[in-house]
Amino acid sequence: MQHLVSFSDKLIMVTGASAGIGQETAILLSNLGAKLVLIATNEERLQNTMNMLVGNGHKYFCYDLADLENIENKVNEIVSICGKFDGFVNCVGIRSRRPLSLLSIKEIRNVMDVNFGSFIEMTRCITKKANFNEGLSIVGVSSIASHAGGVSVTAYAASKAAVEAAVRCLSKELANKKIRLNTVVPSQINTPEYANLLQMSGGVDNVLGRQYLGLGDPSDVANAIAFLLCPASKFITGISLPVDGGYLSS
Amino acid sequence: MDLSNKRILVVGASSETGETIVKQILSLGANVIMVDCFEDKVKDIFNKSSNPQLSYHTFDFYNNAEIEVNIKHLNMTFGAFDGFVYCAGKGGVRPLQLTKNAFIHDMMNANLYSFVEIIRCVTKKGFFNNGGSMVAISSVSSIKGLKSKISYSASKAALDASIRGMAAELSEKKIRVNSILKGWVTSDMKLDFIQDNMELNKNEDFEKQILGVIEPIEIANTVCFLLSDATKTITGASIIHDGGYSI
Repeated sequence: MQHLVSFSDKLIMVTGASAGIGQETAILLSNLGAKLVLIATNEERLQNTMNMLVGNGHKYFCYDLADLENIENKVNEIVSICGKFDGFVNCVGIRSRRPLSLLSIKEIRNVMDVNFGSFIEMTRCITKKANFNEGLSIVGVSSIASHAGGVSVTAYAASKAAVEAAVRCLSKELANKKIRLNTVVPSQINTPEYANLLQMSGGVDNVLGRQYLGLGDPSDVANAIAFLLCPASKFITGISLPVDGGYLSS
Repeated sequence: MDLSNKRILVVGASSETGETIVKQILSLGANVIMVDCFEDKVKDIFNKSSNPQLSYHTFDFYNNAEIEVNIKHLNMTFGAFDGFVYCAGKGGVRPLQLTKNAFIHDMMNANLYSFVEIIRCVTKKGFFNNGGSMVAISSVSSIKGLKSKISYSASKAALDASIRGMAAELSEKKIRVNSILKGWVTSDMKLDFIQDNMELNKNEDFEKQILGVIEPIEIANTVCFLLSDATKTITGASIIHDGGYSI
């Protein structure tokens, strides 16, 4: 991986970088030479991620991406401080587990805004002419929920499916700007979110039974993201890459 | 296929495809309750039909706050349903730079939020019979990307993902939920946004549909198939009905 993938002097934005897959991706990209701009809501945890990065020149911004209306100003501010972007990784997302009878419109909207709306708005702003360098690659983090139905994850699954469908359209629309977009589709990954899930289910996880490579590590997803960001994958666009230990094919 | 003794709710009945679906369900023996936002259109369909098994009701189902009370009213008026068809929804094309949040919301509201809210309300105890079937009209845009169809594609993919979640959850009640990924239907071709799309994608899109443009009756047939007991073990599926578009 180190020989195939290099990000020397490349500026990459990672949202949702304070924990889990986002944090692991930031750490890996810094090891591969990237300059990072990290975005998340919790400053303390963001600083914690910053301390784990290799190299200098990284920056972070506290911002709640649920505030869709002000994303454009924030992106412009960041570009004026940090320069144009070569990569954008969207790891921000909220999980939602609600049975249908409790699935209010308000809940669906909130999940769609954070998991889908913020990704589209960030992409819209970053792909403005003044905000990116040639060869921009964008990677969104989806989920196997987008492909396989699960009880009580209707809104979450819908939001992730929306992200993948939008990426298929955007990869076509933005190809003439030489911008690529892809998603990774993780299954169960050993993150703090997964620990919460296990706690709620009393340690039972039926998904793992079909995930025949076992529980994934955040670094497994980070590796796939790094590959899709780098020029080694310059002929790959519009795809949803499963990082699922075999779940979707089992 | 036989839909006798079934009571089917069809939301979005006034479109050309919706009307065709209603007529085909009626012809297979079911009672149909048409629901639409536009009274004049649905009343016209009702007046033209002499079938006593046809009824209608109008309310703005794109206004989420209206749904629960109207579904209760329908339940009190007609009793429990055996089937639900959602052929409402909105289309539209916009390039990314014009795809602002309000546009996304409007599309998601019509193609996802109203659909899920209707199912949430109609699956309350006593409102929907065990063994019932729900069918949503989705689109191949859910699985195939096109320029400027970001919101539409996303909303249809979200719809398909939501049916998988609801199918898993409602299986306890033996209620099935499926969708149809339709390709280009003749009735679509008359819409303004399709004309825009033809311009944007240089007609290449239509040539991909190797069996030609679909007639509404063919979509109606697939809807009836999924409503019928012939498919009692099909659930959470998105059936591709696209004249070969996606191959």
